[in-house]
Amino acid sequence: MQRALFPALFAAGVTFLLTCLVIGVRLEQVGAELTVTGADADTWGWIAFAVIGVFLFQLFQTPLSRLKQRLPTPDVTGLLPDTQLRNRLKPWLISLIVVGLFVWPFMVSRGAVDLATLTLIYVMLGLGLNIVVGFAGLLDLGYVAFYAVGAYTYALLSEYYGLSFWVCLPIAGLLAATFGCILGFPVLRLRGDYLAIVTLGFGEIIRILLNNWTNVTGGPNGIGGIDKPSLFGLEFSRRASEDSQTFHQFFGIDYDSSHKVIFLYLVAVVLVLLTVYVINRVQRMPIGRAWEALREDDIACRSLGLNPTVIKLSAFTMGASFAGFAGCFFAARQGFISPESFTFIESAIILAIVVLGGMGSQLGVIMAAIAMTILPELAREFQEYRMLMFGGVMVLMMLWRPQGLLPMKRPHLELKTS
Amino acid sequence: MTLKKATFGKTLLAAGTLMAAMTAAHAETLKIGIAGPVTGPVAQYGDMQKIGAMMAIDKINEAGGVNGMTLEGVIYDDACDPKQAVAVANRIVNDDIRHVIGHLCSSSTEPASDIYEEEGVMMITAASTSPTITEKGYELIFRTIGLDSLQGSLAAEYIKDNIKPQRLAVIHDKQQYGEGLATTVRDMLADAGIEAQMFEGVTPGDKDFSALIAKLKRNNIDFVYYGGYHPELGLILRQSREKGFDAAFMGPEGVVNSDLAAIAGDAMEGVLATAPKSFDQSPENAALVEAFKARNEDPSGPFVFPAYSAVQVMTEAMDATGKTDPYALAEHLRANRFDTTIGEIGFDAKGDLTEPTFEIYTLHADGSKTPVTK
Amino acid sequence: MTETSLYILQQLINGLTIGSTYALIAIGYTMVYGIIGMINFAHGEVYMIGTYTAFITIVGLLTMGVGSLPIILLLALITAIIISSTYGYAIERVAYRPLRGGPRLIPLITAIGMSIFLQNYIRLAQGSRDLAMPALISGGIEFGDPAVFEVSISWMQLIIWGITLISMTSLAMFISRSRLGRACRACAQDRGMTNLLGIDTNRIIALTFVIGAALAAVAGVLLGLYYGIINPYIGFMAGLKAFTAAVLGGIGSIPGAMLGGLILGVTEALTAAFFPSEYKDVVAFSLLVLILLFRPTGLLGKPEVEKV
Repeated sequence: MQRALFPALFAAGVTFLLTCLVIGVRLEQVGAELTVTGADADTWGWIAFAVIGVFLFQLFQTPLSRLKQRLPTPDVTGLLPDTQLRNRLKPWLISLIVVGLFVWPFMVSRGAVDLATLTLIYVMLGLGLNIVVGFAGLLDLGYVAFYAVGAYTYALLSEYYGLSFWVCLPIAGLLAATFGCILGFPVLRLRGDYLAIVTLGFGEIIRILLNNWTNVTGGPNGIGGIDKPSLFGLEFSRRASEDSQTFHQFFGIDYDSSHKVIFLYLVAVVLVLLTVYVINRVQRMPIGRAWEALREDDIACRSLGLNPTVIKLSAFTMGASFAGFAGCFFAARQGFISPESFTFIESAIILAIVVLGGMGSQLGVIMAAIAMTILPELAREFQEYRMLMFGGVMVLMMLWRPQGLLPMKRPHLELKTS
Repeated sequence: MTLKKATFGKTLLAAGTLMAAMTAAHAETLKIGIAGPVTGPVAQYGDMQKIGAMMAIDKINEAGGVNGMTLEGVIYDDACDPKQAVAVANRIVNDDIRHVIGHLCSSSTEPASDIYEEEGVMMITAASTSPTITEKGYELIFRTIGLDSLQGSLAAEYIKDNIKPQRLAVIHDKQQYGEGLATTVRDMLADAGIEAQMFEGVTPGDKDFSALIAKLKRNNIDFVYYGGYHPELGLILRQSREKGFDAAFMGPEGVVNSDLAAIAGDAMEGVLATAPKSFDQSPENAALVEAFKARNEDPSGPFVFPAYSAVQVMTEAMDATGKTDPYALAEHLRANRFDTTIGEIGFDAKGDLTEPTFEIYTLHADGSKTPVTK
Repeated sequence: MTETSLYILQQLINGLTIGSTYALIAIGYTMVYGIIGMINFAHGEVYMIGTYTAFITIVGLLTMGVGSLPIILLLALITAIIISSTYGYAIERVAYRPLRGGPRLIPLITAIGMSIFLQNYIRLAQGSRDLAMPALISGGIEFGDPAVFEVSISWMQLIIWGITLISMTSLAMFISRSRLGRACRACAQDRGMTNLLGIDTNRIIALTFVIGAALAAVAGVLLGLYYGIINPYIGFMAGLKAFTAAVLGGIGSIPGAMLGGLILGVTEALTAAFFPSEYKDVVAFSLLVLILLFRPTGLLGKPEVEKV
């Protein structure tokens, strides 16, 4: 314990230095004057708490770490039933979930359905980025650019050419995929960090262009009045626009605004289910294997005869297309888009979803997306602290469990020795 | 027998009285949503709107409420973000609230207004000045503040008649508010024969304007109209002073903020600005100003009294029509004039105010402003 | 001299001023990358904390009645350097050291998380509003023909040049002449070998972070005085620009960071001079992308040979 005293004092001193001025003294702007005032007693209480806490923690570090080793590791995978049982239950479980997803919105409030729709958008984005980051191991920090491309494609096509949502959906995906290709091509030779920075730069460039090209994209005003998707031509609005009918008129029921919300939600569910299915299939195809080979060791990959160019491009393109779909849907749901929604922070959030869920693990990503979207809603009182906790959680997760909550299990067969 | 009947009768009477008393004590509340930024970089403006509306609600409740109902203000935070504004609008509809004061930022009000109109919720904004909000032909959307286009034309008129610059520059911050104003001013002045030598945008959040100022110097600009908010203009003024560029400046109400004095210091003396009339200066509102000060709230913010008036017209319409149905109220608003803290006002078919509410002021280095005499 | 050339001279002066501050911050990025191969996303926030500390110190001193400008400046620099360095050290110790040796993706994400955490930490502590301070050092010299174009250099600009020059020279001398500096270079070259030679690489790495943070703090003080306005979000943009400068000059190379900063500053100023100023930022990012595509090692960097 003696040996721990000095480091403990040092750590406590560091903590004090960190907090004394920056938290302990507050800059206030009073009219045209700037003043400093000591922070209130509560804040100093927190500072004291932190300093003493760090001191004690460092002092008792060895016994505490020994205790930690004895604790069971938080391994969520241990909770799942064993493989045999799992394989038999899986189809039933999946069908239960799918049916539940379709039935649920009719039983809950409109706000909950709206929140669920937003969550599904992030699920789609997370799954898409998962292809690039999780499967292929390419760190893309500018993913939000493809999201923006998808959203603006639908907005512009709808405004200038009057094309409907369903027509624009594949176009948005295609266009985003093209951008993915265009971005992927020059960055092929780059590795790791450099790739990350170039994609970051690309994302920012797209955002600045969208903000400045006022003639086409409306600049900072964005584009408003975007149409919602319709069901075979039936609109979900109170009054129909010329030469089309509204949903409630067709079925002869009263107008209820929740129809629109539920319909949007169902569209989102369909899109997400398709995404999950497609990605699942592709993961098992040779290209999926090639992605993983690339992630593990791209030089070995090359020496095995696989063409890394094609593999990287395919990962970028596919990931980008899902972002395009998500963007198109996002524009339709919100009815108004502006460059403000496509900042670097969005990319960071989507990346956090992929990393927290476990890179490469689809289920993990879905859970993480749900957690990231729903938890801030539940903790409304902590609105002020939301971003702070977000940053802190990112750091903590990397320190504590970098492989994510549900690390990926490669689909494999196990030989049973009898 | 008689005893039982009597007891029975008394019980009934007692129960009846109790129920009547309970109903009387539990008066209905009418919830009014107040949507705006509570957190985020422009929270101080959201605060202005909030204190104005809440003061109005409290005063009306003190006077007995509306149609026998007590008003209750419910605060919603959209952080000036369109995504959150949409979520807030959905939540308000979900919470069965049909009257909203808000939002603040035009970029939030726009998408939210789509939802309100669709769902039959009345929305009165006391701060969003973008013209596009009332261009969509909506029935239930109103505002108790002037339009950007009016601010711009007022500025252009003044520049044309009083300043007559030789070499004009129009700078904006590329955002909806600033660029819109700058474009209006430039176009109107061009029509009057005064061409802008420079029309450029700066990036909000940027700190270094030395390149811009060198360019202004090079073009021998003698007058600059700036469309945008106070942080950038403050820095431009300060750096201009440093670099020996001493043209006259003019800006919109987005620069009228005590922070401008903090940033620009002496360099802001003599800067012109269009701003809403200082309703806290008018003698009719003196009692209210005292009431705000008693609560430690600052009544001088540009959105305080418009928000107050928004609540006023809404409740007056409810009183007059005896209903709370937004469509009935909307009709009443369009057809009548109202006596409010921002003066006597009326609404036009689009939901905008029929009276101009902006004036031109000269700003001073201590943060005060004086109206210019034309 | 003609009007255009005077105008260009003015923009050059502006560009060099801002460029030298980019250089100061860029050195932090480049040193950390050179020694442990990681991009310290949180470095911009360390700069921001330096600025806030400087403001607190300056306003505090002014309130206490200290009138002498050089003393205020000196104390502000010292306090900012101490506090920022502590932050640099603490960040490395808490968030990066445990992750050393693992896959490169993880520390990058930690860094992003740290950056977001620090931004909001300061936002909660000091408010998200802009805080403005009146110019403490104003005025300057002007030359050139008033009829053609007057070029002005403010005292503050000269001070920035001076202090930046002193800082960079001291750093260069430290790295090349002192023992610790030699240890830093050894660590950057081959960490394993350095460890074997008996040098405590953990301490050297911590020192690198501290030096980087100190220089960022200096930049923070200078820019805080120059612009006079701060908010919790200035770290992000400054960090990104400084990072671009570091990459431009060759990440891992300290002279490269200095050169990159100056080039970036001047390019930005000249772009704004002849094109609408809104495209200033696009230039920075496009430069970044172009450099990474065509010469990823930057101007002064050495091509990295990948060993299999």
